[in-house]
Amino acid sequence: MALTRRQFLTLMGGSAGAAVLFQACGLPEKELLIDSPAAMPEDLVSGTDNWYATTSQQGGVSEGIVVRVMEGRAKKVEGNPDYPLNLGGHSALSEASLQGLYHPDRISAPLVRTGPRGSSEYREISWEDAVARLSAQLTELKDSNEANKAVFVSNPVGGHAGLVLDRFVTATGARHLSYEAVENNVLRNALKEVFGTDSIPEFDIDNSDLILSFGADFLSSWVSPTRYARGYGEFRQGHEHRGKLIHVDSRFSMTAANADQWVHVNPGTEGLLAMSIMQVLSADHSDAVFGELDSDGILDSYSPVNVADVVGVSADVINKIAEDFSHSEHPIALGGGSAGAHTNGNQNLKAIYSLNRVASNIGKKGGVILNPESPIAGVSAPKATNTFSEFHRLSEEMKAGNVSVLMVRDADIYYGMTDTADMKSALDNVPLIVSFAGMMDDTTSIADLILPQHHFLEDWGTDIPVAGPGYEMVGFQQPVVRPFFENRGSNLGTKGFADILMTVAQVMGQDLGLSADTFKEVIRNDARKLYDLRRGQVVSSSFEGFWNGVLQRGGWWDTEAKERAEPAVKRLDGVDRAEFGGTNQEFYLQPFISTLGDGTGASLPWLQAMPDAISTATWQTWVEINHKVAEEKGISEGDVLEIRPSNGRVIRALAMPNPAVPPDTIGIPIGQGHRDGGRYSAGRGANVLSVLDPKVDSDTGSLAWAATRANITMTDEWIRVPKFENTVPEFPRDEHHHIIEITSGEDH
Amino acid sequence: MVTAGSNKWGMVVDVDRCTGCQGCVVACQSENNIPINLEEHFNQRRAIQWIRIERYWEGEYPNVKARFIPVMCQHCGNAPCEPVCPVYATYHNNEGMNVQVYNRCIGTRFCANGCPYHVRFFNFWEPEWPESLKNQLNPDVTVRSRGIMEKCSFCVQRIQRSTRESERDNEVLEDGDRGLNPACVNACATNALIFGNFNDPDSKVSQIKEDAMKEGGRGYRLMENMGTDTNVVYLKKVDQSVEVTHGH
Repeated sequence: MALTRRQFLTLMGGSAGAAVLFQACGLPEKELLIDSPAAMPEDLVSGTDNWYATTSQQGGVSEGIVVRVMEGRAKKVEGNPDYPLNLGGHSALSEASLQGLYHPDRISAPLVRTGPRGSSEYREISWEDAVARLSAQLTELKDSNEANKAVFVSNPVGGHAGLVLDRFVTATGARHLSYEAVENNVLRNALKEVFGTDSIPEFDIDNSDLILSFGADFLSSWVSPTRYARGYGEFRQGHEHRGKLIHVDSRFSMTAANADQWVHVNPGTEGLLAMSIMQVLSADHSDAVFGELDSDGILDSYSPVNVADVVGVSADVINKIAEDFSHSEHPIALGGGSAGAHTNGNQNLKAIYSLNRVASNIGKKGGVILNPESPIAGVSAPKATNTFSEFHRLSEEMKAGNVSVLMVRDADIYYGMTDTADMKSALDNVPLIVSFAGMMDDTTSIADLILPQHHFLEDWGTDIPVAGPGYEMVGFQQPVVRPFFENRGSNLGTKGFADILMTVAQVMGQDLGLSADTFKEVIRNDARKLYDLRRGQVVSSSFEGFWNGVLQRGGWWDTEAKERAEPAVKRLDGVDRAEFGGTNQEFYLQPFISTLGDGTGASLPWLQAMPDAISTATWQTWVEINHKVAEEKGISEGDVLEIRPSNGRVIRALAMPNPAVPPDTIGIPIGQGHRDGGRYSAGRGANVLSVLDPKVDSDTGSLAWAATRANITMTDEWIRVPKFENTVPEFPRDEHHHIIEITSGEDH
Repeated sequence: MVTAGSNKWGMVVDVDRCTGCQGCVVACQSENNIPINLEEHFNQRRAIQWIRIERYWEGEYPNVKARFIPVMCQHCGNAPCEPVCPVYATYHNNEGMNVQVYNRCIGTRFCANGCPYHVRFFNFWEPEWPESLKNQLNPDVTVRSRGIMEKCSFCVQRIQRSTRESERDNEVLEDGDRGLNPACVNACATNALIFGNFNDPDSKVSQIKEDAMKEGGRGYRLMENMGTDTNVVYLKKVDQSVEVTHGH
């Protein structure tokens, strides 16, 4: 029986019986095809799309991306399948960069402050005027031999932007400090001591069969999560034998959730556990490596029985981990995150990475693969940042009036420094604060002069990653769209960061020695050096062909150009006990990175609305607390709690009990509590970084951000936690019908 | 090889690879012009996510696990949402997909009631973007107005565009083509999501399905007992610490 759509509607309107009738007729397929949504109304758009390769280096994470551009507008970001670091996958942060590009609160012209500081009252000025104001100040300082009263604080900048910045600060005599709210300094220092390398090695998770990670939330936020996640997928199901992940952490992170075994340790004892595992291994193995590693015989005092109580893990469990480690063919040990954020952080990480020495996996499949130097002399990966202690000193200098001009670029020290370091009031004492931010952030919101930079999708650059792929590579960043504010004319709008510096230097009459007028030329000139190498994955008979090749592919790399040197074995050092700010406080306060990075992602609504992996909470600052502890205290989800460390500071956060939080711990996500940063972040939630005790790692002076203890007090307030959980009804489940089916794997 | 009209699109989701990172969720929102989920949308339980990560708890500290599973429209061969639509806004197309015609939808929400997977989302508000953010919207995808039901389309616009362009250029569209893949699949760093044509016996999804659905294989379907005959095949989570096969 044939039935047209119109007849069908009539029948449907007629009676319920008609619906039965219709079902008996089968689908009127031809009729439906006419209006197939696959051919409407999408089909009406016949625009052509272009995909351009570039690199994203937001928040210190390098990813190669391809951007879909239609009619001059960027529409979609995807991972570059060729790019060595992410091989096609991409992070939510890269995706959300589109919202940074088209953010409604971007700064569209140079600004000079007109009202009191922090009042958000600015007036637009021309680029000529803005550059003249900055260069006049810098020239004046230089002429009066006070050039070191100019300070440049930037994010860790590498590649050619880093080169230009280095030349700029040298030429102007300014001091340069690089800043990260959540420092990688302890990690980089420990890696340097253990492996003698300045960069972060490639961890070959893909080919490993046992990952022993300590505090490093490598699937979510640590160093290069997209790349590790790619390796993790293969580690699980890409080989004949499924790899095993043991995650040691004082908090139940996303990586802990994905581990086969989460080993909860008392905060700051990760290094003790690593030493203990080595002690077990040294007793079992007469391995020659222990002769070098432990020539002082210090391991004996770390036997499982000795450390079990302090670490909070039984001797049996420690022995079992050691057994797993020694019985694996390709074991690898990783450490970072909170394990390095204690007063003994550097010692912890050194002990952890020394496990790789025991496994003898350096430079081997499934092991730690060191990175070679940059293929372009003088252009390197971002150097290690300055430490918390150095920034603390900077705030002292500001207070003493020794900083006359502060230039900031993507380094939100107003937001990221704990209040105990007094940076906020110190900044009041700086006569001129100049920001290069393209979007308001907290530091920029108190700036006197703003020279807004392009979004990275509008700018040139190169990416020489700190955590390289184990061989030489240079990623190329190219503008994928024309500057969004181009219509404002060349004297307003935004400009590329390096180009701004080059212009300022030029107006000051300083030669940066770059033999180029634009930043693009700087990069193009150095691309010639790569071309002259005549190796790598892009080879061409002409430089023009090579240049187009690297831009199309997203970069240049040579998989054969590896680090061959075998670093000497570093003798083990002891691991001290961690110290905490406050001793009487009830909880360890564990800040963690959720969806907003170190706070830089807070302006982007996709990241704000992205549910936290564990709690599914969004848009707010919540505090993870053990659900039984919460019950005992009469705390329910959404109760507003005050978090009180011994330093007297207080923040408020919404209670979010869950069954995985250790009873003596509370966890608070980093990233909210901005005073500015646009409509999606300003005044939202609380900034956990601001209440941390100024405890530092004793070796490096980096902030021990996991070393604060705090009490909680209840308030009368309750605020609904915006979370994804329960947005859709729960599935009906019973013992026969599961949503997630789990197998022991034995039946394979 | 993919040719128009002869396909049955489907997906394989390897739960053992999924880390719950939410990369797919954001990629989907970017590709499909999903309205920004503001705080109040979450609070009213009306946030829209065509693909979502469900998190299940197991046990208590210290022996606790959290398990993740991505859930999107299962594109049922026997879809409960289809017969309840009075205006044919949702129906089965000839490529195995459950599709939603926005300009037919009158917002009865019967389909959302009918869907056992809860993957249909209703626009309770007119979607709003600040003027400048509209520059990012995908011109291949209709912005849904208030009162309209929406859900995962397997990124039908990508299938359309890539098949059309390959036909125009006389090129063969290969299995796993990144222009064909839905946005979530391309974004997934762990390769937990694989998309392809179940009608092509050589496609990756067909081969995985064949292997996984054998006795002792890891394959299963969500709520198979409902007889929905889904086009999404899940692969079981592996946990060596469990004694017997179980689940959530």
